[in-house]
Amino acid sequence: MDIALAVGVEKMNEVDTATSLAVGGRGGNYLWEYHFYGTTFPAYYALYATAHMARFGTTEEQLALVRVKNQKYAARNPKAQFQFEVTVEDVLKSRPIAWPLKLYDCSAITDGAAAAIVASEDAIRKLRIDTPVWIEAIGYASDTSNITRREDYVSLKATKIAAQMAYKRAGIEPRDVEVAEVHDCFTIAEIMAYEDLGFVEKGMGGKFIEEGQSDIGGKVAVNLSGGLLGKGHPLGATGLAMIYELVKQLREERERGRQAPLRKYIALAHNIGGTGHYGYVTILRR
Amino acid sequence: MGMAERKAGSRKTVKIEGPTIDSVPITYRHRIPIGRTVKYWDGLKEGKIYATRCKSCGAVYYPPQADCPYCGSSDVEWIELPREGILETFTRVYAKPQGYEDFEPYIITIARVGDVRVMGWLINVKDERCVKVGDEVILGTTYIEKHNKYIITFQLKKQAMLTTQYGLT
Ligand SMILES: [Zn+2]
Repeated sequence: MDIALAVGVEKMNEVDTATSLAVGGRGGNYLWEYHFYGTTFPAYYALYATAHMARFGTTEEQLALVRVKNQKYAARNPKAQFQFEVTVEDVLKSRPIAWPLKLYDCSAITDGAAAAIVASEDAIRKLRIDTPVWIEAIGYASDTSNITRREDYVSLKATKIAAQMAYKRAGIEPRDVEVAEVHDCFTIAEIMAYEDLGFVEKGMGGKFIEEGQSDIGGKVAVNLSGGLLGKGHPLGATGLAMIYELVKQLREERERGRQAPLRKYIALAHNIGGTGHYGYVTILRR
Repeated sequence: MGMAERKAGSRKTVKIEGPTIDSVPITYRHRIPIGRTVKYWDGLKEGKIYATRCKSCGAVYYPPQADCPYCGSSDVEWIELPREGILETFTRVYAKPQGYEDFEPYIITIARVGDVRVMGWLINVKDERCVKVGDEVILGTTYIEKHNKYIITFQLKKQAMLTTQYGLT
């Protein structure tokens, strides 16, 4: 097979919020978690946030800065769900969803679709595609379904293993990555992703966003699409939407102010399934 | 239209608008077999929390496992967990899912109990901001009438001691 079309789609708006929260919560471990304790997706990530804050002194303000950055780019992305900017105060004052996570710490209910054409080297040559983006490597891992059996609550092990696999296969280091789309379903998820992907050492994710290291001009430009928080998180389309954004970034086709400056033309997509059950890291290069 | 005929860079967005109809909603209710973990469910009614230990390799599992995922043996024994633990993390759920709408915002907690971790609701706490990671908790079980089920509940140890001392229930 030489050419394939990958399509991702999700329609989440047809249920009310309580049902959506139930569907998400049941995506954890139904019997031992949702059945007894009414876990929701925000609650799962809030468990990580509480632990990260207690262990490393990560603050609610630092979490808020993730949303502020991602909205800055969502506001400039004509395909984003939420095309407006927010302040740290807006985030801190939004209503609690699963303490310590508030409304603006959470991605929303989104409808969306994304697609990508994957072709062999032969097909690309034959069709004379002059701007191909190459898949350098894919890393993947899974973790326990029971959250009580995870290694800790300050990182996603599936991300760490997937990232190490992808870096090794691509023959690169985390510092080589210039632009990344990471799985910011919640603000804490982006902070943990900085660390688990090796952009900064464990525990320093809060400082990383505070110093602007994940913004244009920093060490790695993260979520210039607006991320799952700003661009939207239609679950089944999210992974391909990341690839779409990175292809556009690597081809330097993005609007002014939303284009990452590139020297090595190396990009990274980080996608998580479940509550950290699965992790995928894809390295792209132009 | 073939690929070659299409202009490079052309964009076409199709947005379907207009009247819609509503589907008939569907409700699921699964019957979950508990035949091999009855000891656990009965334990909750008696205020006891059981884990399993594999007799063949010694691995301890909570939530319990009727078969050992590590060595594959089905020769497991039930062990009662200690009644005290250390709070590892928690959250308070304000946006409640379907089936939990009628509850007050509840605090989901994970505590380290011996060699395993246990999830439960932290009860008798006024405000989540009075709770800290590392706090000592006492384990128990509570009947939840709305769902006709028993769940594991934690109380902060310092508070549980006060309650016993002064009878503040
Ligand atoms: Zn065993």
